[in-house]
Amino acid sequence: MKVGLFIPCYVDTLYPEVGVATYRLLRKLKVDVTYPERQTCCGQPMANGGFQRMSGDLAEHFEDVFKDYDCIVTPSVSCSSFVKDHHPELHKHECSTPEKTMELVEFLHDVLKIKELPGEFPHVVSVHNSCHGVRVLRLSAPTEEHTKPYNKIVELLKLKKGITVHEPERSDECCGFGGMFTMEEPEVSARMGDDKVKRHIATGAEIITGADSSCLMHMRGVAGKQKYDVKFMHVAEILAAGV
Amino acid sequence: MKKEQLFDKLRQGVTRQFDMPTQPVDGIVYPDVVQQFIEMSKTVGSKVIEAKTTDDLNHIIRNAYPEAKVFASSVKGIKADLNPDTVSTPAELNGTDVGIVQGEIGVAENGCIWVPQTMKERVVCFISEELVILIQRQHIVNNMHEAYKRIEMPEKGYGVFISGPSKTADIEQALVMGAQAARGVTVVIVG
Amino acid sequence: MSTSHSKKAAQFLSNPENVTRHDKTFWGLRQKRDIQAHQLPEWESLREHASQIKEHTLTHLADYLEQFSDNLERNGVVVHWAKDAQEFNEIAYGILETHKVRKLVKSKSMLTEECEMNDYLIKHGIDVVETDLGERILQLMNLKPSHIVVPAAHISRHDVGKIFEDLGISKEIGNHDPTYLTQCARYSLRQAFLEAEAGMTGCNFGVASTGDCVVCTNEGNADMSTSCPKLHIVSMGIDKVIPDLDSLAVFQRLLCRCGTGQPSTSYTSHYRKPRPDGKMHVILVDNGRSDIIANPNHWTTAKCIRCGACMNTCPVYRRSMGYSYSYFIPGPIGVNLGMLRNPKLHSGNVSACSLCLSCDHVCPVKVNPGSQIYTWRQELEQFGTENKEKRYMAEAMRRVYGSYTIYDAMVKKASLVNYVPQKLMDIKLNPWAVGHTMPHIPKKSFHEIYRQAMKELDEEKKKKG
Repeated sequence: MKVGLFIPCYVDTLYPEVGVATYRLLRKLKVDVTYPERQTCCGQPMANGGFQRMSGDLAEHFEDVFKDYDCIVTPSVSCSSFVKDHHPELHKHECSTPEKTMELVEFLHDVLKIKELPGEFPHVVSVHNSCHGVRVLRLSAPTEEHTKPYNKIVELLKLKKGITVHEPERSDECCGFGGMFTMEEPEVSARMGDDKVKRHIATGAEIITGADSSCLMHMRGVAGKQKYDVKFMHVAEILAAGV
Repeated sequence: MKKEQLFDKLRQGVTRQFDMPTQPVDGIVYPDVVQQFIEMSKTVGSKVIEAKTTDDLNHIIRNAYPEAKVFASSVKGIKADLNPDTVSTPAELNGTDVGIVQGEIGVAENGCIWVPQTMKERVVCFISEELVILIQRQHIVNNMHEAYKRIEMPEKGYGVFISGPSKTADIEQALVMGAQAARGVTVVIVG
Repeated sequence: MSTSHSKKAAQFLSNPENVTRHDKTFWGLRQKRDIQAHQLPEWESLREHASQIKEHTLTHLADYLEQFSDNLERNGVVVHWAKDAQEFNEIAYGILETHKVRKLVKSKSMLTEECEMNDYLIKHGIDVVETDLGERILQLMNLKPSHIVVPAAHISRHDVGKIFEDLGISKEIGNHDPTYLTQCARYSLRQAFLEAEAGMTGCNFGVASTGDCVVCTNEGNADMSTSCPKLHIVSMGIDKVIPDLDSLAVFQRLLCRCGTGQPSTSYTSHYRKPRPDGKMHVILVDNGRSDIIANPNHWTTAKCIRCGACMNTCPVYRRSMGYSYSYFIPGPIGVNLGMLRNPKLHSGNVSACSLCLSCDHVCPVKVNPGSQIYTWRQELEQFGTENKEKRYMAEAMRRVYGSYTIYDAMVKKASLVNYVPQKLMDIKLNPWAVGHTMPHIPKKSFHEIYRQAMKELDEEKKKKG
């Protein structure tokens, strides 16, 4: 299986270590993964802001870059949700990438079905269940629904030796990022972020982790402003630790 | 507005019509429907008394409300000071301490009891400080799907499902019994 | 970049303790709803049924309205049809005038709020008394509801206590205990029920097959309003009609569990006929509903049964309160209904959503208000109400991301931003700085690291080869 690594624009620029960890982890798991150059952005930021019409060319570009892969893996829940959910309506031609795109946790849990991971991670972490991870990709059971509880992120993290995994109270309430929402509703967004970070810290965690760097970026900014003593790491970095 | 105009507009506005679901809902069924009904009645704030068919209901009701002075009922065999069938205005029932009415169907999932209007002034169900609802044990069903299949509207054209006393949480979400209608409900399960 | 919602929300957020209390109140309702949902194994199937029944009914609405009104008339009920708010108010007043009504007791109805009926009737000399405790408090304080189910949740017990003292409704000065205040309101309203010549209720469900008008209340105020006076007026939107009693079972089970987290409201009242020697009138109101049903992108919004669950779960609503929305119905469903009412006037609410989609998952009839807000955002440009700065940003992004060469060049320079002092970024023009520190931008992007690593790998291979 030929896997194309999709590193979303803001991860590429702001969190290259997440890309590096994802790549290393997949290599270690013997995945035939390559990173096609010329990839940029899936078009989500404009679309969430109300300018999906501007995302059309980017969807075409995405298809062009990734169409020859069997599977496209990305360490970002919101970008993969956007490709899966909204790219089909943006494409003018037949397209194959939306159904081949997978978020990293989904790929590890559902396709590779990994049951063990090398490396230790002797830390206490609190898992951030990003909205689109829960309610679009169903990485965990949405708390609104009457379904059997499960959490793929937690299951994967627990494969690391020495780790203690918590979830905050209101385990899948939004952290208040939402792309341009943060810019249009800065006060509401900041308060949501503050409430969320406090609940993560209340678990006793040293590190807040999740499958979406944009939520983590937002909460990191909030924690910085409030001078909270807590670290942030993408799930990929923890899973790749000591690998 | 002419209703025909509205109907035309509505018919023109629809491009695709949808069908009703084909299968009915598989409503919850309890291993002990009466026990569930009792628990749920208590959850919604009612008191529950189980009585045998041979028991003296008047005695049970008087015992449950030893302080009460004014009783109102039109239920056959129930002793009362006021009769909602014979009062001339609803206002005459204001000041009733205990109203006693007959329920027809009890619903285990939510403590609802179907009370059809058999009396002339239905206000007795609401204006009384305390309400006693009599219900036959064999008339308790699992859920609302079963209940709605069984209810019969009386000639007077009114019926109500009552689930516990009147309540409100409109001031700071603090639950208070007895907002505008009965402050308390006692369900007497007969049989 | 601020919007009408975000500006008002910022005012509410300036008092953090109020926000905490407001958030807790509504999160509490959400939790109670979850407990109810988890007690029924058939919960998700119930929601699916409700959704399908509504889609069926709305796409056959003329037929069901015809059946409903025929049954009403057969039962001796007088039926009226109102095109809009004005017609509705005139019809309501006309009925009251004919019966020489001076005092009207009414139970909660969002339709009468929508039509601003109270003001109209009061202007025409009718003494209108709201009898739902929350609505009564708001009426006495001359305020509007901030939520459709618990309309006065934003008012503190002390504010209620003070207004009751001022008006002589409570006698014990300083006693602001909710139980005491509720009892005071009970005594005061009891008189109103007995004096009024007419009672008005809303209608949660109109059953087409029987003509029943079904009203759900906890306080029993709808029943007090209709079993004392001899005249009963029902005001209902045409969207409230459902096919039959089997359908009603589905909705009755969902409405209260979703709204307040109770297994049922205390009273589910079925009005089929006028009281003996009484009169019953039903006013069926369109006021834009037929336009909603004809809207190809948003007709499913008309499925809403007004349970309020989407507000309770909405993280934005809980932290910004009902008054920050320009439409009288707030929260996710209110954003949608406002846009359907008047997009130019209510576009400022479309920002009030982080697209978390929690509302889509609590909604008992699967309106999907969150996903619908995403669609509304795409439509703002056609109303000319899109945010111009945001459009500029989106266009800039498209330009950068649209060309790999530009993107690559920009990324190379991105880390220069780190050298801008934090203080310079903390300006009003930068909304990010309201709640965040700036992210640190690494020297090298992932694609540069990857490119370099691949180059080194190639060189190594060449050396070995």
